[in-house]
Amino acid sequence: MNPQLLSLSPNNSSLKSRFTLGFLRALKRLNMQTSSSPSPPQTVSSSSSSSPREMCRRYLRIRIAADASMASAVGSRRAWSRTLLLKIRNRQFRSCNSSARRISMKKKCSGRKMKKLKCDKEINELRKFVPGGEAMDACSLLDEAAHYIKCLNTQVKVMTRIADIYSAT
Amino acid sequence: MDPTAATVPGSAVAGPEQEDPGLDTLQFREEIQRLMTVPPENASSFTALLELPPTQAMELLHLSPESEPAPAPAPAALSGEPLHKSCVHPFSSGLAFPTNAAQIERAAKFPIFGGERSPETGPVPSNSGANVEKVKSEPAESDSNPNSSQETKNNQRASLKRKDREKKVKVSTKKNKTEVKEDAEKIPYVHVRARRGQATDSHSLAERARREKINARMKLLQELVPGCNKISGTALVLDEIINHVQSLQRQVEFLSMRLATVDPRIDSNLDHLLATESLSLMQSNFSNMVPPLMWSEFPINGNRQQYQQQWHFDALHQPGWGREEDNHTFVTPEASLISCNSSANSASLHTGHVKTEL
Repeated sequence: MNPQLLSLSPNNSSLKSRFTLGFLRALKRLNMQTSSSPSPPQTVSSSSSSSPREMCRRYLRIRIAADASMASAVGSRRAWSRTLLLKIRNRQFRSCNSSARRISMKKKCSGRKMKKLKCDKEINELRKFVPGGEAMDACSLLDEAAHYIKCLNTQVKVMTRIADIYSAT
Repeated sequence: MDPTAATVPGSAVAGPEQEDPGLDTLQFREEIQRLMTVPPENASSFTALLELPPTQAMELLHLSPESEPAPAPAPAALSGEPLHKSCVHPFSSGLAFPTNAAQIERAAKFPIFGGERSPETGPVPSNSGANVEKVKSEPAESDSNPNSSQETKNNQRASLKRKDREKKVKVSTKKNKTEVKEDAEKIPYVHVRARRGQATDSHSLAERARREKINARMKLLQELVPGCNKISGTALVLDEIINHVQSLQRQVEFLSMRLATVDPRIDSNLDHLLATESLSLMQSNFSNMVPPLMWSEFPINGNRQQYQQQWHFDALHQPGWGREEDNHTFVTPEASLISCNSSANSASLHTGHVKTEL
């Protein structure tokens, strides 16, 4: 229909379209990879004969691709997207141990004594789910969590749509 | 109440003095110059606070301490009275008061500090108590010209309220004029007015501001997460938010699993078509998409057998799936789709998701 849609500049487009484009490109790349390197004993990637390991690997790659395209669609404005991008890049370079831990080491930012909230337990739990939440104080954690939820919603919607289209055709 | 006693005879004496202001002005000027030569301790900060030129403020600063030791005998009372008058005169000119000498004399009866302190609210009752009494006794004496006194009082109060709004430190300065003013000048304060009956030290104010920030963000989160509006209490709301984030992350994982199992048709045209089609569709139809529908589509798809064959998760020990271990409920309406031979992990993974969706 409109090849121009694919060439949308990042400034004009919304988060949703940026993510869609990035994710579709990643999917395309992944599909090309699997198809271009079939090992002879295993047939080409027809779903009925791909092993569980293959699929598991594919699943992992797709998940990483989804997170990466989401994080790059958001950019570096948000702490959680920065953390995600760092994690992914470190994983690629196989040096995840050192740098990731260094980032998550810093627990409390504010120099003054930490205020004892009644909901400290819940806030600490929330830290586990929001990427990069270990090194944030409660205030910015809530901020990041709100934006993260919004982006996760977008991600889920886009991926459902893509999965439907894939399975329908 | 020596000052009041001192000023009462002074006011009585001031009556006959009205006719000859010229004679007394010389005396006044001498007093003024004597006062002005006295170096103030920290006039800079304090006077900046009062928005007065240093000289006038200094006079005010020395007004009350000097009115205290003013001795009872009449000449000293006279000298005390002119002090009031002379001090008030430049002060009143700074505030654009009527320059009528008679009115100024009436105004002079009110010690300025007392007038300043009277509009202050509860936080500093002890310091203002003594001076407020002075002010209250003064109106009883000045029956001759109440209007101007009211004016001056109101003007003082208006200017004071201006100052109050500008600096919250004014509240704490009443405790200790000298030290705290220095701090006020050095550190930029958030201009917050202390509420009635609440503590006013910097720690609790900062904490209160923080708490308000956190509450505002919690409200935003409540709007984002469906079903949180009815819940009251931060802990429960946070629990709900955590559950929501968890479920969203699991949805993403399931979707990526689903995408992994779909036939990877390597057709660039198809991909292109998919991209454009999905974009245009997304722009229109996204509001209709509800995530739980995804699960109802499983039986509809013709690929059910595929799924059943391929979802063998023996070899799967993903770090991401470790999160699912805390979910122990086993609701399995769609267990037939998944042949989970191996681990409870995968089963709880699926069922946990279903539980949160339904």
